[in-house]
Order: sequence, then structure tokens, then C-alpha cells
Amino acid sequence: MLGRHADSLFWMARYLERSENNARRIQAAFHYALSREDDGREEWKTIISESGSEVVFRDKYSQITLTDAVNFLLRDRDNVNSIITLIYKARQNGRSVRANLTQEVWLSLNESWIACETALKRPVKIRDLPGVLEGIIKGSSLFRGALYGTMLHNDIFNFLRLGTYIERADNTLRIMNSKHHQLLPTARVIGGNEGQSQWEVMLRSLAAWRSFNWLRKGQLDPASVANFLIFDARMPRSINFCYREIKSNLGDLSNYYCSNYISYQMACELLETLNVPNVGNKKIKPSEFISTHIVKNNEVGRTISTDFNLCKS
Amino acid sequence: MFDEMMGFEGDVTREAYTNLFCWLGDQDLKKLAKKSSSAEQLFRRIGITFNVYGQKQAEERLIPFDLIPRILAAEEWRILEEGIKQRVTAINCFLCDIYNEQEIIQAGIIPAEHIHKNEAFMPQMCGFTPVGGIYTHVVGVDIVRTGPTDFCVLEDNARVPSGVSYMLENRSTMQHMFPELFTTHQIRPINNYPKDLFNSLIECSNSSFENPNVALLTPGIHNSAYYEHSFLADEMGIELIQGSDLAVQDGKVTIRTTQGVENVDIIYRRIDDNFLDPLSFDPKSLLGTPGLFDAYRNGSLILANAPGTGIADDKAIYSYIPDIIRFYLGDEPLLPNIPTWRCDDKNNLIYVIENLNELVVKEVHGSGGYGMLIGPAASKKELSDFSRKLKANPGKYVAQPTLALSTVPILTKNGLAPRHVDLRPFVLVSPSKVRVTPGGLTRVALKDGSLVVNSSQGGGTKDTWVLRA
Repeated sequence: MLGRHADSLFWMARYLERSENNARRIQAAFHYALSREDDGREEWKTIISESGSEVVFRDKYSQITLTDAVNFLLRDRDNVNSIITLIYKARQNGRSVRANLTQEVWLSLNESWIACETALKRPVKIRDLPGVLEGIIKGSSLFRGALYGTMLHNDIFNFLRLGTYIERADNTLRIMNSKHHQLLPTARVIGGNEGQSQWEVMLRSLAAWRSFNWLRKGQLDPASVANFLIFDARMPRSINFCYREIKSNLGDLSNYYCSNYISYQMACELLETLNVPNVGNKKIKPSEFISTHIVKNNEVGRTISTDFNLCKS
Repeated sequence: MFDEMMGFEGDVTREAYTNLFCWLGDQDLKKLAKKSSSAEQLFRRIGITFNVYGQKQAEERLIPFDLIPRILAAEEWRILEEGIKQRVTAINCFLCDIYNEQEIIQAGIIPAEHIHKNEAFMPQMCGFTPVGGIYTHVVGVDIVRTGPTDFCVLEDNARVPSGVSYMLENRSTMQHMFPELFTTHQIRPINNYPKDLFNSLIECSNSSFENPNVALLTPGIHNSAYYEHSFLADEMGIELIQGSDLAVQDGKVTIRTTQGVENVDIIYRRIDDNFLDPLSFDPKSLLGTPGLFDAYRNGSLILANAPGTGIADDKAIYSYIPDIIRFYLGDEPLLPNIPTWRCDDKNNLIYVIENLNELVVKEVHGSGGYGMLIGPAASKKELSDFSRKLKANPGKYVAQPTLALSTVPILTKNGLAPRHVDLRPFVLVSPSKVRVTPGGLTRVALKDGSLVVNSSQGGGTKDTWVLRA
């Protein structure tokens, strides 16, 4: 397979995963904003800074309103992480590797783009927001289904999955990073109800609100939320889950190409650190753990790129 | 005016169309119109779009598809197929000669300056024969029709002809929408084209290529024909590569893969000559691969089509094709040319300027319907402007009579209406065989009375059926 094609597959999957994560993040913040007496302005500020687009936003708007924030995150083409930019980039990458995708996978991607372009042509009214977000998430689910159901599970598939899981791990870590002060063991005392709803936003952003409640029977304490999101192998957006997938896909590639790769070694080592839940252990600072893992995850992504000639050296 | 369904008089259905005519009589035109828009949806979903140069890059357009098929009887196709095979064979002989001995110049058939001063002539190609000996492997021969058996060649596309994916997609769309028509007609299949293309390319290699690695070279996703490039690579099961994937190492052309570098032996290239290799062609090109042309000259690479084939299809050389056929094959041309006046000739220029309002004038190196004048449709001002351009640079133009092109009905808001068409059959040339896919791309002018069928000028396409018997 061409290195450039592997690169396009990897980034197509990353952008699509990011668009789904961002849609869910907006959904959770919207839910939060509607369930409060103030307008939840702080939460929009957090999302915009998480996505690294603070400067662009401040250049355009002097203050944050719900409508501006939502439209900036959904459909502003100057925002490199707006949903429309991400799905556009995913589709452009998809077009350049069309011959590597099944018709069904391509159709799901192209239809997502057509639907997204239509829905976001004009500013989104608040009453239409739930439907628009659901549509975006549904498009991503359809893509995933077509991928699993119709693609050969070969190197093409492996590069797509690697893109998805590197992005997903990054997303989970970033959300935790921006909310880590609410995750400290002392947060319960300080936070009270406010802390509780912050965990809820976080869990909802990761499609984990119901599953966490189901496992924990409604007991919300910061350490178990953090341990769940980092270490729980059953939870599809936990770091442990992502890294077991990354390791497995890199293992497949090592077998397939009969070669040893540095990125595989790195993934194995990183997974070792994710086996025993450690939040609550007094010797370990969750904030430090999270920020070093963001850096390590990025390094794995870069090493994949050099290991497999994704870019011209 | 000759209508391919209803003949000259418009009162009797011609034989090839009898079944279709009956079927059309049973259809509710409103439902057909609905089908037409669902076909458009289908094209949009699959992403069969093209970019129009000069428009916003993000804008992708559909080529309008008309769902009334164009039907050619077996006997009509036989005339075309034999004429086309003869023509592309002669064109390849001409290219081989013009880049080597140049006997046709010595014989006084084509004046030397028409070759050497021609910007499509590529001196880099002189003095060697490409592996397999073929210059133009893939040709699109544009045909127009004026009567039941009156076909003539409008132009030869010997460089990088496009449109074949529309031929294939139009057929599969028709099969999807109107399967019943395929049970009441004996239509020759065209779906072998990608396989034929692959085999035709492989047949060019010799024993020094073991299991040749074939790739399709595209300028990338912003090219207007990108969909076609990805479609063909997919159908042939070969890599779709870009200049940035290529490098030349030790005289071999290689591509960068996830497992290191790999040799590539045959490149079906869909980029223009100038973008192949900055060392041999345009030094400013960022798309090219330094050293690629040397590998080609040394015989370690096959390029389809060869660089420099443009010398065979520009509109000035076109007028010599009947002589070219006689010279190399010793036969009379089976398909006639359209009479063509080269304006660099003084007497021709006088004639053309005097009769401008009846002629079609084209740029020698133009394509896509840009920069041409259709005399009968032009205003007085356009005519006088154009004759000034002609006098200033006569060598840039050729003129032809305005033909009464045949029509085929299309579906309009007010029912069926005749519109002018042309036909681009696709031809594959290998050392052992010339293959012409039975059918081709029918382009249709959607405006009443218009003669311009180019997609860049608002033309549409139709499925083209060749009947078995």
C-alpha cells in the first residue's frame, strides 16, 4: 500500500472520530446549559479552548453567547476543528483513497458530508440543534458499521482503526485534562452539586453516562469516574480500551508486514501503565498522569507515521 | 436534419428504436422525470462529479445525465469500428515515424514546418521507440453524424482522453433504473473496459518485465477528472498514485509504500506531458518526478500514453489524417474527415473571412469548446471581433463548415425533444490488438438548437447502446 494512502486513511479516521467526539461534546454542553439557571457560558468557553480555537473565536466575537458558540463549533470554516471543517477534511482524505474503500464505506462518508453540508448551510437555530447533532453522530455510526461489515480486515483497516483510537484516546484525555480539578479526591467537598454536574457533562461527552451509572448504581465519586475513563477495559472510550486496540492493530501490521516496529513497542509499554487503576493512590497525581499520557499518545501517533512511511521523509 | 430515432422526415421510427419507442409510449412522463432526478441523486451520492476550472475549488458539479438512451444498430457500429481501428493504427504509425525517420515529411505529404514549428511536437521523443512500440494506447475518437450512414470524425483525442467512467456509470445507472429495457434489447456489454485497459497495458511489456506493476498517475483530487481516475484504478485493482509518491532510484521508477519502496513498471498517466518530469519538460512543474523521462527512454518504464502524442491530434494535423492513412496503410480512409481550412494558408484565410458567418472556427490547440466561434450563431460584433483575431494570428485557427449534426430525443419539462449529439468511442491499442468498446460516451447539447456538447459548456451525456444484431 502507498504510504500516502495509509496517511489519508489514518487522518480520515481521525477527523471523523474527532467530528463525532465534538458533536457529542456539544450535545453534553447543550444539555448542561438547558438544565441550569445561568446559561452555562463557562462550559462553551471550555469546549472552545479544548479544541484549541480560542484565538480564532476571540478575534470574531467579543463575548460568548449560546448561538455564536454553537455555530462557531459546528459550521465556522475558519475554525479548523469545527464539525464542517472536520467532515470536509475526512471526505477529502476519503476521496484520495477511494479505491481502498468499499462502496458502502465511501457512500456512508459521502452521504455524511452531503447531509452535513446541507444541515449547516445556514446558521443553526437552537430548536434544530438536537436533530443536527444526532444526524452527525448517526453518520459516524453508519460509517463504523460499514467499515466493520464490508471491509477486508487487512492493513487498510488497521490504519483506519489506528487513526480512530489515537484520536479517541486523545479526546478522552483532553476532556479529563480540562476538568481534572473537579476530579481530585477533594472535589467532592468543594464541588458539591456543581462538581456532580461537571462529571455528568464529562461522562455524557464520552457516551458513558448511562454505562457508568449502570456499573456504579448511581454512585458518583471523582476517583471512580477517573478510573473508569482511564482504566476500564469494558468502556469503549477509555484509554485502556483504546490502547488495547492500538496494540492489536499494530500487532496485526507487524505480522502482516513481517517486521518489528517501534510504535508497537511503545503501545505495549503504554498499555502496561493502564492495567491497574491508580486514581486515589496518594503517590500519583491524576493531572500529571493525564498530561504525560497526552504527550505519549501523540508520540505513538508520530512514530506510526515514520514506521510506515506515511509522509515523505 | 437527421434524427436518430425518427429519421429525416420525423414520421417513421427507425428500426433500432422500435422497442424503445413502444416502451416510451407506455411511460408516464412525469414518473420518468422523477426517475431522472433520482438518477441525479445517485450520481451525487456516489460522487460522480467534476470540478470546473476557474470556479471555486470546493464546488463539484454533476454532468447532466439524460435517461433516453442513444441506440446504434449493429451495422452502424461495424462502420464505426472498422473506421476507428484504421484511424488509430495509422496515427500510431505516424507518431513512430515522426519521432524517428520522418518519411512522411520526406515524401512531401506534410510540410516540415507544420511539424517542427508545432508546439505539440516534442523533440525529447526523437530517436527512440518506447517499449512495445505503441504511442497512443488510449484514444477517444470524436464522431459526428449527419445521416443514416454518414459518420465523420470531428477530432482525435490521442493525449489523455477522458470520459470513459461516464460511459460505464451511465450504463450501470440505466440498468439500475430500467432493468426491463435490458431484457427487451440485445445490448452489447461494455463493462469489460477496465479489464481490457489493464490487459492492453500489460501486452505492451516485454520479457524484461516480470509481473509488471501497473499504476494510474493522477494530478490529485482537485483535477476535473479525478473521479474517473479513482474509478479506473479501483476497477483495475491498481494503485492510484500522485507525483509525490514517485521517485527515481538507480534508473528505476519507484513508489513509496508502507513497507518501503517498490518498483513501478507501467504508468497509465492522466497528467499532461508538461507535468511528468521537470528535468525533461516544464522545469517549473511541482507535480513531476525528476528522472522519470530518462527511465522511460532507457526502457525501464512504459508510459501510456507516450509524451508528445499531441502532434497527432491537434486541429491542423487533423486535416492531414486521410493522407496519413493512405501513406502508412495504403488504404482509403473508411471514415471521412470534416473538410478543414487551415487559416495559415492565404487563400484559405480569405475564404474563411468571407464566409465566417457560415463556418465553425476553432483554435488549433484548443479543447473543451473554449475559444471557438460558431458562425451561424454569432452576432455581427462577435464576427468582426473574430475576423480581427484571425487576421492577427491566422496560424492559430482552422475552420470547418457548420454541420447539420444528428439529433436524439432528450427528456425535457415538456416531454421529448430532439437535441444535437456527438459520440466518443474509446479505443485501446496494444502491440497485438486494437480494442474498441461497443458504445462510447454520447454527449448531448441540452439547449434547443445548440451544437456545443462539451460538459464544460453545459452539455449532458446519455447511455449509448450498440445492438447485437
